[in-house]
Amino acid sequence: MLKHLFILIWNKRKQNFLFLSELLVSFLVIFAVFSFLVYYFQNYKKPLGFEYEKVWSIHFTNSVKIKNMDSLSMYYDNLRKTLKSLPQIEKVSFSGANIPYSNNNSTTGLTNNGKKYNRINNYRVENEYKDLWKMKLVEGRWYNEQDITSTYIPMVINESLKEEMFGKGPATGKLIGSLEDKIKWKVIGVTADMKANGDFYPAGPAIYAKVDTSAYRWMRNALIKVSPGADAAFESRLYKLLSGTLKNSNIEITHLTDMRKSKNEATIIPMIIFMIIAGFLMINVALGLFGVLWYNINKRRSEIGLRRAIGAGGKSVSYQLVYESLILATMSLTAGCFFAIQFPLLNVFDIPASVYLTAILLAMIFIYMLVFLCSLYPGKQAAAIHPAIALHEE
Amino acid sequence: MLKNYFKIAIAVLKRRKFFTFISLFGISFTLTILMVTTAFLDKIFSPNYPDLKRNRSLYVTTVLLKNSKEGWMNRSPASFYLLDKYISTLKVPAKIAISSFSAATNTYVNNKKIIIEFKYTNADFWDILDYQFLEGKPFNKKQIDQAAHVAVISEDTKKAYFGDAATVIGKSIEADNVNYKVIGVVKNVPRTMTNIYGDMYLPYTVSKANYKEPGLMGDYNAILLAGSDADVPKMKQEFNQMIAKVPINNKEFDQFYCSADGYFEGIAREIAGRDDGSSGVVKLISILSLLAFLFLLLPTINLVNINMTRIMERSSEIGVRKAFGASSRTLVYQFIVENIILTFIGGAIGIILSVIVIYYLNTLNLVPNLNLSLNLAVLGYTLIACLFFGLLSGVYPAWRMSRLNVVTALKAN
Amino acid sequence: MIRLQNIEKVYRTDTVETLAVKGVNLDIAKGEFLSIMGPSGCGKSTLLNIMGLLDDPSKGSITINNQDTKNLSDQQLAKFRNQHIGFIFQSYHLINDLQVLDNVALPLLYRSSTEKERRILAAVALEKVGLSNRLKHFPTQLSGGQRQRVAIARAIVGSPQIILADEPTGNLDSAMGNEIMEILINLNKHRDTTIVMVTHDENMAQKTHRLIRLFDGSQVL
Repeated sequence: MLKHLFILIWNKRKQNFLFLSELLVSFLVIFAVFSFLVYYFQNYKKPLGFEYEKVWSIHFTNSVKIKNMDSLSMYYDNLRKTLKSLPQIEKVSFSGANIPYSNNNSTTGLTNNGKKYNRINNYRVENEYKDLWKMKLVEGRWYNEQDITSTYIPMVINESLKEEMFGKGPATGKLIGSLEDKIKWKVIGVTADMKANGDFYPAGPAIYAKVDTSAYRWMRNALIKVSPGADAAFESRLYKLLSGTLKNSNIEITHLTDMRKSKNEATIIPMIIFMIIAGFLMINVALGLFGVLWYNINKRRSEIGLRRAIGAGGKSVSYQLVYESLILATMSLTAGCFFAIQFPLLNVFDIPASVYLTAILLAMIFIYMLVFLCSLYPGKQAAAIHPAIALHEE
Repeated sequence: MLKNYFKIAIAVLKRRKFFTFISLFGISFTLTILMVTTAFLDKIFSPNYPDLKRNRSLYVTTVLLKNSKEGWMNRSPASFYLLDKYISTLKVPAKIAISSFSAATNTYVNNKKIIIEFKYTNADFWDILDYQFLEGKPFNKKQIDQAAHVAVISEDTKKAYFGDAATVIGKSIEADNVNYKVIGVVKNVPRTMTNIYGDMYLPYTVSKANYKEPGLMGDYNAILLAGSDADVPKMKQEFNQMIAKVPINNKEFDQFYCSADGYFEGIAREIAGRDDGSSGVVKLISILSLLAFLFLLLPTINLVNINMTRIMERSSEIGVRKAFGASSRTLVYQFIVENIILTFIGGAIGIILSVIVIYYLNTLNLVPNLNLSLNLAVLGYTLIACLFFGLLSGVYPAWRMSRLNVVTALKAN
Repeated sequence: MIRLQNIEKVYRTDTVETLAVKGVNLDIAKGEFLSIMGPSGCGKSTLLNIMGLLDDPSKGSITINNQDTKNLSDQQLAKFRNQHIGFIFQSYHLINDLQVLDNVALPLLYRSSTEKERRILAAVALEKVGLSNRLKHFPTQLSGGQRQRVAIARAIVGSPQIILADEPTGNLDSAMGNEIMEILINLNKHRDTTIVMVTHDENMAQKTHRLIRLFDGSQVL
């Protein structure tokens, strides 16, 4: 029977061309929506890897023109001391502009065994950075006061980078080089991934390099972890204090909770708009398919009447129409999958293949469901056609 | 004839109510989404409060420094030095507004944090931009020269800082631990106007940073205003000649690009511009058109599909018409007119839906102070979209119809 | 073979009640070739539909092969038609999107049969009507007489004991009509198939065993 229906549809492929192309485009749209959703969901499921509550970022424009390294270092030490002297502040770490949930990032390239790795997030950190975020170590250790320059400069990397470079094996003790392999670092620890780009994006490979004195001039953010008792009044006092300490600077205090919210919204709001539009398109398509299928029944009254006359039951005719639509869907999906499968094959956008494959599967189920539901009622209508009347209309 | 077509069209639409519903649903929602998008783009690209003189303005927002040997490049706003020392000397521009991009700072009122985005401006800024003063007035050249601690604030800032006070002129506002005297309150500006947005406007002379520092990269942007629309190309030419003369004075870079763009060109450069200093207008328009095409593809196929069904259903009517002497061309016209009428009915419903959606979006306030509205321009674009959509979805079915064989058409029913 | 007892058929619309067939009694023996004649609208086709179990009578009973068909369900009726009755229509009712062979094999689809069986049986049936060289054609590529022969092949492919033909020669010229008639007579003779044929053509009717005439829903001869 299936083969018979397939032949019937294949012979009518010209008439079904629009129907097929509509399903094909619908499949691609749904594939795109599901790719996003699956990607976001997979990332959302991963642990955050750090704690952002009660962390504030103090941004200051550094208009102090200190050329001398020692005095620059002293300037930052003073600022740190001032902050530390407040009982509400538990941890302090200076940072570059790429603090979690900010829109800034800083990347670098590395080499390992002659292989180059690009776009590695480069976080400049201090000793307290790990405890400030409550980051977890997977192996090795974090920086401490004893990290005086030995032969190699110590370096902490994250799990993603470790897996890219060293696979499942341990990384501690291994040497990694800068992009041109001029500088060598020794990995002393691996941290769990820290989803710094919001809940819906992966952490990506990262290094946490301990800041050296010369880099202080680029550190225009102080990250602080405050105690639960730190309220708005404290923030106001802190601001006054900082304005006094950092003369000729513009200062802005931001809470990481707020930054996280706006970072996540920047993902969610476009996604919602995208889904509304896709949803509308699908309603549109569903109505269209339904209408065309329904109309086709009228056009095929004589065929349906004949089938009934030569021994097809009402149910059999009804099933036939549903099967036909599903076969049409299968033809479109075959073509659609051919296009969709290119994404994982060509590794487009550097997204894991599992995302695309899951999205293809979900989109296929979605289209089958859509077509099935749209053909259910027309199929029922077809079953109700009276053969005696249908055969004598012409 | 047209009236006749119209009558037939209405009769046809009434006959197959379900198909009419599907078509209208598709058309009206497609046009609604197009209209809301157009309203948004119109808000961004066409002259809006307070930037009303866009037609004779050129915008200088970024400088691009490149090291062609090593492949580095650095993109940043222009420095005050560049704008003041070189650009200010141009002869063609009638006025030149110089202002910094806004920077955020905090201020605390009764322990409540207020985030204030402040920016520094010169006096011409207030002449080029038509800010609407709810009270007070802008600062003038004399106040700038004296580095007076005066501020023009936005309506939102007034509300956040002073609460419901009737007038705030002469009161003092604290930001970054400095006190400024409020001399004016202006109507809010949407955040999308990045080059002029601010919660608080200050004379550039009170800036804490050393704005006179030589160098090409900084925090500033400029608007050059020509005396008339016709002067704009001349102004652009003069600007480019000047930029060619600016010395780079920086060992790290050997190439320097800076351009004075029309508003759209400027946005295109920011989104799609390339490193060699060329603007991305063509690229941006292509991207937008491609997106619009992809979005329209599905509703169009759907509508064509339904139109085909509609025509096949009417094949006996078409056969009769042909048999009695209607030419294929007349029938094609008739069908296209019918389809355009249908599209316009859909368009009318779309306008009503857009009004509702826009009202809702404005209430949501996704982009603060960006109030979308349906103006004549947006309606005009919609009209074009309607015509385009109607033609697109009607032509193929009409062509198929014109090829219908009279005998088969008559037999088909 | 077929026994109609006191058949009546009433069509009701909102306002009018039309009596299409009234009080028809008919006994058709196995192997009989019966023709039904009568003017347009006299109820011939309605009667044929009732015989073919496509339509239920308002009153009366139909017994085919000693089986009363009154209380059969839709599914059972479909199966019954499939196994016992073959139909031929004036306007052929071939499926234009299927090749000749597939059209002929159609009734076998609704039985348990294999693809191979179907093809063989359909080819045999087509050979009987002299169309062995047209298996891969589409109906639209054939002449009217050829189409009707395909329809006959479809009617006999399942070896039914009864064939109901509704003006099988109505759309054909006399030469082709005679050709079709020859085939039907042969079927009747060599296979002992019971045939009931509705026709307008006196010449055709004369070639059958028995002729009945209907007028206004009643049997007059």
